[in-house]
Amino acid sequence: MALFEARNIHKRFGSRVVLENISLAFEEGQISGIMGPNGAGKSTCFHVLTGQHKPDRGEVLFDGQRISGLPPQRIARMGVSRSFQLMNLFDDTVVIENVMLALPAFRERRLKAMSAVFSDTALIDRALVVLDQVGLAVRAWDAAASLSYGDRRALEIAVALAAEPRILFLDEPTSGLGAEATRRLALLVRRLRERYTIVMIEHDMRFLFELADRISVIHWGQVIAEGTPAQLGDNKWVRRSALAEATHA
Amino acid sequence: MAPLNPDGPRMIDLLPHIINGLTLGLLFALIALGFTLIVGVMEVINLAHGSLFAIGAYFALTVIAGSWFAGTPFGAWWLSLPLGLRYVLALAIGPALAGLAGMLLELCLRPTYGKPPLYGLLLTFGAALVIEELIRLVWGTGEQNLALPQAINGAFLLNGMIFSTYRFFAAGFSIAAIIAVWLFLERTSAGAVIKAGAHDSEMVRALGYDLARLRLVVFGFGAALAGLAGVVMVPIWGLRPHVGVDIVIPAFLIIVVGGVGSFWGAVIAALLVGLAIGITGAYAAAWSTMSMYLLLIAILGFRSRGLLGRKSALEH
Amino acid sequence: MISLSDIPARPSAWITPPMIALALLLLAAPDLLPAIGLYQYLGIEIAIWIGFALGFNLLFGYTGLHSFGHGAYLGIGAYAFGLFQHHVAVSLWGGLLAAVLAAGIAGALVGAFLSHRRGIYYALLTIGFGQIFWFLAMKLHRVTGGEDGLLGIPRPPLTLGPWQVSLTDNRALFYFAAALLMIVVVLCWRLANSPFGRVLQAIRQNETRARFVGYEVWRFKWAVFTLSTMIAGLAGSLLAMAQQSAYPDVMSLHQSGLIVMMVLVGGGLVSFWGPVLGVVFYFVARDVLGGLTETWLLWYGLIFMAMVMLRPEGLAGMLHDLLRRSRPRQPSAAPAPATEAV
Repeated sequence: MALFEARNIHKRFGSRVVLENISLAFEEGQISGIMGPNGAGKSTCFHVLTGQHKPDRGEVLFDGQRISGLPPQRIARMGVSRSFQLMNLFDDTVVIENVMLALPAFRERRLKAMSAVFSDTALIDRALVVLDQVGLAVRAWDAAASLSYGDRRALEIAVALAAEPRILFLDEPTSGLGAEATRRLALLVRRLRERYTIVMIEHDMRFLFELADRISVIHWGQVIAEGTPAQLGDNKWVRRSALAEATHA
Repeated sequence: MAPLNPDGPRMIDLLPHIINGLTLGLLFALIALGFTLIVGVMEVINLAHGSLFAIGAYFALTVIAGSWFAGTPFGAWWLSLPLGLRYVLALAIGPALAGLAGMLLELCLRPTYGKPPLYGLLLTFGAALVIEELIRLVWGTGEQNLALPQAINGAFLLNGMIFSTYRFFAAGFSIAAIIAVWLFLERTSAGAVIKAGAHDSEMVRALGYDLARLRLVVFGFGAALAGLAGVVMVPIWGLRPHVGVDIVIPAFLIIVVGGVGSFWGAVIAALLVGLAIGITGAYAAAWSTMSMYLLLIAILGFRSRGLLGRKSALEH
Repeated sequence: MISLSDIPARPSAWITPPMIALALLLLAAPDLLPAIGLYQYLGIEIAIWIGFALGFNLLFGYTGLHSFGHGAYLGIGAYAFGLFQHHVAVSLWGGLLAAVLAAGIAGALVGAFLSHRRGIYYALLTIGFGQIFWFLAMKLHRVTGGEDGLLGIPRPPLTLGPWQVSLTDNRALFYFAAALLMIVVVLCWRLANSPFGRVLQAIRQNETRARFVGYEVWRFKWAVFTLSTMIAGLAGSLLAMAQQSAYPDVMSLHQSGLIVMMVLVGGGLVSFWGPVLGVVFYFVARDVLGGLTETWLLWYGLIFMAMVMLRPEGLAGMLHDLLRRSRPRQPSAAPAPATEAV
């Protein structure tokens, strides 16, 4: 059975049907991609999978357990972690605290209110290890707001990784990045695949085709094609949009 | 339907309270409309809105009584004018000056744009304090009364019950004003721009309008509505320096119950609050203002964005 | 930029230099105040309001939850203390406990209702509940004395085992209030810099992200609200002793707004010590400006408006800038706590 599954998801906003009978399955240890044109419903799909929206019908299963309808914090604690397309960081503080706050070990302290945080070397070390994975360890004590756009994207991913997820969802990780930063991100994702199951939505087709094991194409709120990058290369819609992208570039 | 006996006679007894409540509700709607316009376009919770209401009313007081020119030939000539004329002038000058004060406040608010809504809230809270103190300084601390022309003063008998003429005048005036504001927003191009600004300030810019000026005008307009509500409402609500804070709380509560930024939500909520106060007043007068807080908690308990509210930036 | 989330230089310390400075100031205050032309009672008032303000700032500055109805819990504490003395027993500790519990229970109930709300809806509901409590205090004449207030509240003696100290003298009451204040200061400081406090600040910075990294945000919001109301209750009990009576006016929107103003003017948004500066500034301004002009609140309001427009970091922010300018070549403030624990 797949690690993460969505079954017959329907979602509408008012009278507008955004998702119609979507079913997806993500295998453990793989990188899965979701692609589609703007407004096709892929963002909504992502929100339903990670718990920001409840589906009107259908269910989302993680490791055989139903998670649709649970609040996001519960889903997060089960090991489903996500990054955000529009950056969602703790901006008033330093880089390392963004990561520390997301560590399960930090969270478990909860009301042990009187223990000092920033003198716990074990916690700091763990946060530094996570930051090192995305190449930000040297900036650990800088203000989060002082990072460049590309570094903030990397921090987004670090915060998601800090939660020690079993599955990691990346929401348009390349959005707003230049060619060089995109290349570095590709390297990072490739390194992460050894340890995590990854799902990403992405509009950069080259990026997705290079990295993903399986890709689902969403259009008009439905899954119109699914398969390995090689299989999808022959798909009519995919080829048309690849052509469009090439002429744009 | 309730049986005619014994509830029938009680219903009749309640009628004046229902009418009082509806009148109060219509007046609340008038002040809440300016409030909701400002919230919609500027995303500022204007805690000084009640103070602008007070400014309108106090200037009306000065216009009617001519007190600033007492003892001068101009003052004597002014008082020789018929009360009705002075009242009509007050109805124009009071709101106009409240509108100007609102524009001044908008200028003060400019440094807070782009910051969290807390800053606008705090600034207008400070402004409310300042305006209240200014009122004490200029008009004194006591309770005052607005002189009313004969035509709208007094009372009349209907079905053996006494009704205040003024309440009917105020209710009719409010209905007319609410319809006028609605027509302005729906049927004029200026109204269309304001509505566009309430949904999307980018769109206003894209249409080629000056956002800064739009904000100034909307704030002035909202403030003038508050001032107008002040002149009309004060004979019922009373006039004291603290009146601004007394009125801003129901107004604030109404737009939240109605749904922030919603025109008809504000009107419906205002009528509900007015009715709640009116009917509680019939049974336990001392507790009448309590009912509106209970209404707030009851409604927000079930609908976290109010009756007709949608998601807005104010939640952050 | 400075912000509350800056990591303090010695985060693991229980006692910090500013605390020692505050303690010394409090020790000297009863002799200092008359020397600069002020009076003993002012010190009690200031100590009470500082405690109230520090607890309030855990909610307001640290968590970013804007309560405009916090005066209600100060009032509840005051009434609970007075009613305990009148109807249960004349007892200091009993009264304090009753005040903290009463305000805490009211706060816990209100907090349960509030904690799923955000932004302006949160602020409005705090006003609504605050007004309800204020209204009850005014109208439940038989219990609270209504507008006339609850009068004749005694100052029970302080008993510690065989020791007994009378608090009827203002100087003695001041030292008692100051001692309680120091406990509140240490408690708030530790809490603000604990994991719990860091999560509160994370919620202020980005509530959505806090939820998506797994925190039950509403429980934190509830806990900090309840805690701040308990501290308000404690402050209220001291107020009841100081005034030897309790009045509904501390529960009004006006007074609830004043605490917001004090905290912001002092710099509660950027500094733990902001509320202290804000309270001292307010009371000194009240007595100094108030001696010169009847309309001193007008001037205070104008100062507040100017602060919001130009310097929302308040007095603490200005002080911080001054210190930094006087020591221009200080290395960047970021500490490396990893090494500090060694």
